[in-house]
Amino acid sequence: MVEPVLLRVIDLVKHYGDVHAINGISFDVPSASVFTLLGPNGAGKTTTLEILEGIRESDSGEIEVFGIRLRRVTRAVKERMGVLLQDGGFEPYLKVREIMRLFASFFESPMPIDHVLSQVALSDKAGALVRTLSGGQKQRLAVGAALINDPELIFLDEPTTGLDPQARRNMWSIVDALRAAGKTIVLTTHYMEEAEALSDRVCIMDHGVIIAQGAPRELTQDFGEETMIEFRGDELSADALEKLRACCVDLRADGATVTLETEDLPATMESLFDWSRSQGVRLQNLIVRQPNLEDVFLSLTGRRLRE
Amino acid sequence: MKDVLLIALTHVTTAIRERVTLFWFLVFPVFMLVVLSIIFGQIGQEGEIRFDIALIDQDRAAPAARDFSPMIVEVFRELATPQLPGQEPLFALHEPPDGEDPEGFVEREVTALRRGRRAAVVVIPAGFGDAVLRAISAPMGEEPEPARLAVYMSRTDTASQMASEIVAQVLSEIDREILIRSGRFDPSREIATETVWLGRSDAETRYIDFLLPGVILMGFFANGLFGVPGAILFNRDRRILRRYWVTPMSVPRFLAGFSLGHLALCGLQFALLFLLGRYGFGATISFAAPIPFLTLALAAVTFLSFGFLIASLARTANAGMAVANVLNMPMMFLSGMFFPIVGLPSFLLAVVYVNPVSYLVSGLRASVGVESGPFSPALLVGVPLGWIALSMLVAARRLKWDVER
Amino acid sequence: MTALRALLVSESRVLLRDRTTFFFTFAFPLIFVLIFGFVMGGFGNVSRSTMGLFVSSDADRPTLDETLDAAASMALEEYSSLEEMQEAVTDRRIDFALHWDGASLRFLYDANRVQENFAFAQVAAGLSSDFNLRRQGAASAVSVEPIPVGEIASAGWFQLVLPGILAFGILSSGLFAVSGHLTAMKERKVLDRLIVTPMPPLALLVAIAAVRLAVAYVSTLITLFVGMGVFGLRYDVDWIRFAVLVACATVGTMGIGTIIALVVRRPSSASNVANALAIVMMFLAGIYFPVEFMPSFLRAISAGLPLTHLANAMRYATGVMDMAEAEFWAITAAFVGIAALLFPILARYVVRPLRQ
Repeated sequence: MVEPVLLRVIDLVKHYGDVHAINGISFDVPSASVFTLLGPNGAGKTTTLEILEGIRESDSGEIEVFGIRLRRVTRAVKERMGVLLQDGGFEPYLKVREIMRLFASFFESPMPIDHVLSQVALSDKAGALVRTLSGGQKQRLAVGAALINDPELIFLDEPTTGLDPQARRNMWSIVDALRAAGKTIVLTTHYMEEAEALSDRVCIMDHGVIIAQGAPRELTQDFGEETMIEFRGDELSADALEKLRACCVDLRADGATVTLETEDLPATMESLFDWSRSQGVRLQNLIVRQPNLEDVFLSLTGRRLRE
Repeated sequence: MKDVLLIALTHVTTAIRERVTLFWFLVFPVFMLVVLSIIFGQIGQEGEIRFDIALIDQDRAAPAARDFSPMIVEVFRELATPQLPGQEPLFALHEPPDGEDPEGFVEREVTALRRGRRAAVVVIPAGFGDAVLRAISAPMGEEPEPARLAVYMSRTDTASQMASEIVAQVLSEIDREILIRSGRFDPSREIATETVWLGRSDAETRYIDFLLPGVILMGFFANGLFGVPGAILFNRDRRILRRYWVTPMSVPRFLAGFSLGHLALCGLQFALLFLLGRYGFGATISFAAPIPFLTLALAAVTFLSFGFLIASLARTANAGMAVANVLNMPMMFLSGMFFPIVGLPSFLLAVVYVNPVSYLVSGLRASVGVESGPFSPALLVGVPLGWIALSMLVAARRLKWDVER
Repeated sequence: MTALRALLVSESRVLLRDRTTFFFTFAFPLIFVLIFGFVMGGFGNVSRSTMGLFVSSDADRPTLDETLDAAASMALEEYSSLEEMQEAVTDRRIDFALHWDGASLRFLYDANRVQENFAFAQVAAGLSSDFNLRRQGAASAVSVEPIPVGEIASAGWFQLVLPGILAFGILSSGLFAVSGHLTAMKERKVLDRLIVTPMPPLALLVAIAAVRLAVAYVSTLITLFVGMGVFGLRYDVDWIRFAVLVACATVGTMGIGTIIALVVRRPSSASNVANALAIVMMFLAGIYFPVEFMPSFLRAISAGLPLTHLANAMRYATGVMDMAEAEFWAITAAFVGIAALLFPILARYVVRPLRQ
């Protein structure tokens, strides 16, 4: 059964002068799923989202949303959309309930405010002024404002950037709950774990183009049958590292970690232990893991997701 | 419709809750009203002005029939006594203590005058009585020299100038009294002086009636000059507005709500100032007629659009506030709002004529009957309308509703 | 010593680059002076007024003419109809008017010229009594001989106002150096970054004070010279007293700013409080109108304001008003005393962590 596509982006282009922020991207977002745009800062994720949210105009390309083909997002579309901006403010001297009431009034059929407040766990803060809220609480308020119209399509732009781990986990559970409720979510992030944890489909962007698309598992599998070995490398001498490189070709070392890729785990492990014995190196924090999206990005671009 | 109304309510709520805004748009106009009417309402009126005057009679030893100086001293002492309980007398009189050397006293007091501690030093010179007698005994038709009272005063000090003029007035009445008593002046043949007030009523306009429209307009002006660009630029810079633009809320609807909120704030200011003016200071003017009401509305809208103009010209909130601060003083003072525009050089007069505040102040005062100023009705309405049109034109083209990336 | 030098350089740069502050510190007093000079030039001066005249009776015409000729400070415009003259009054083409009908002197005023009629009425009263005396052939028995004191040829009230404006400029500069500049540094955590260095807090304060002082000198001198140049005001400046006063007042007003910064909880509110206080002081310090105009309770408040005394001292230093020498030095000592008392406290404030 083919799931209907709620949002389709066709050959979107946007440049600023000579810089191509987005250079012809296309993707489909199936309904009732989480679709993530993953990429480093400057990849064009936010620009793409802003065009889809209707606050930026593309230079060319089309959008098909809710079955309607458009050049630009219209007011009717906004009625059925919810948006969480990457950076947005609220009036500091308004109360939480007042903010919700204000946003509710923008839509034709908003949900009851108390219901949304409990959805984002802000019921006990309903009477608090915005300026007294913590960063995480403000972010939840922003989510509440994005959900007040019970939207079918939700955009979340970098929803957990700057949040502490607890707040980040709260946000993830909200996203899961939304997907379970049948919503379609388009998410942008530069956190690999977030993309892996939440997404049904991931679209990796770099320098304004899509370099890979697919379910997270597919992408890492495409990467090959390889296994990754990692250990702490901050105290290794350059000499020892060179010796290791001699036996294990696919080696990456930044200052903190040494990463080996291998298709033959037992053989590589043996070489590794030999090396550690001969060099007198202790293998600290040794882990063996599956390749992840970070590795995918690295292999595709030679750079890390997070600079 | 509800969204527009809620935007308006948001604007009002925020202004009231934010202490800084509240100060500037409510507390400050009230302060100005209170201070200015207390201070300037006193000019020419009994009750609150008091001058420190020194007085010495150097003719005290004059024999009887020449003892005019005690009469003068008596008059001054009378003026230094409160007429009604609680009221301040016109003078605080400083006389030499018994046994003090008169020369020393005068020197001391003149020094005090130089130092701003006295408004005037009045010296009744020795031989004063003789001089008066000579003046009133001279044959009719001759012009004898009057007896002169020396009044030390300072020309740079307004208080001193006023005090010496008042002393001159007092002397003039004493003069009249002396002339009547000596038979040289017949009060029955005196020509009466009448005072005729041309204006709304037959009485002199009260200062509070003159001041109140100006202060109300000052409140509206502050609202438009600082409040409007402040709210827009601040909300834009903090990306509060951006949250609106990703919803069905649009710029025109937002503008409608914002303007409504602004007008509501102006209404609040007006109510507060008017009530204070009427019940606190006894203002008699009324705005409950079409023309005053429309003038108030015109003023509110003019300043609103002027605020949009400023918001269009500034890139950040700080820059906007800086522009507002620069424009504030010249526009307020070069408009006749507080001081009459007399004797200005032409380059400043040019500012007066371009300044929409000049016309709005004049128009509002005229509409409640306390002004008959130099501007024709066409200008009173036309210039503000022109500014509204210009501001909206510039704002439509240049006002950015979202920060640049 | 090098810390101090480095701070001096950085504080100067901050001031010069921040165009807004730069503008306000220099241009603002200038604008103030220019506007007030022109607008208030006429205030308080009974300069030439214009009186309209309409005579509907020939009685006593010669006496009337004699009286009017003798009236020095007045220009005359005669009208051929009462209505015309009344219109001229309400249109403000003339200041007031006289209608002589043979029986009474009827003076007409525009009821709305509230702030000026007092002066016109005085002229009218003078004319009245003079007319009556001449008519009966009587001559005044007593009169007043005004003896002006003061060495400087006066140019009016504005000559006294300008030093007051200078005083206000110094006040706001010092106030905002602490409750504005320093509190902003605290709020933006710039202070925190400086404190973790070996820099002694007092060095920062000295640097700020030094920069403000330089600014105060330049600004007051520019304003003074503009006043003299544009309005032809004359001052007899005692440069030593002037220099000492500016220095002491600058640090003293920084001390006052410290009080505000300590009392107000949030640093960002401090500058607003300072602003409000400065404006209140500006009105009540007797700078723009004489203290005599205020009711006694306001006069009492005025006597307690630092700005009042600073303005008086500035008037003394620029030679427009006299003052007891002891009083002048007492005022400067008081400002230095405030500074000496509060700078150490301010130094501790700089170091104290920002209270959330």
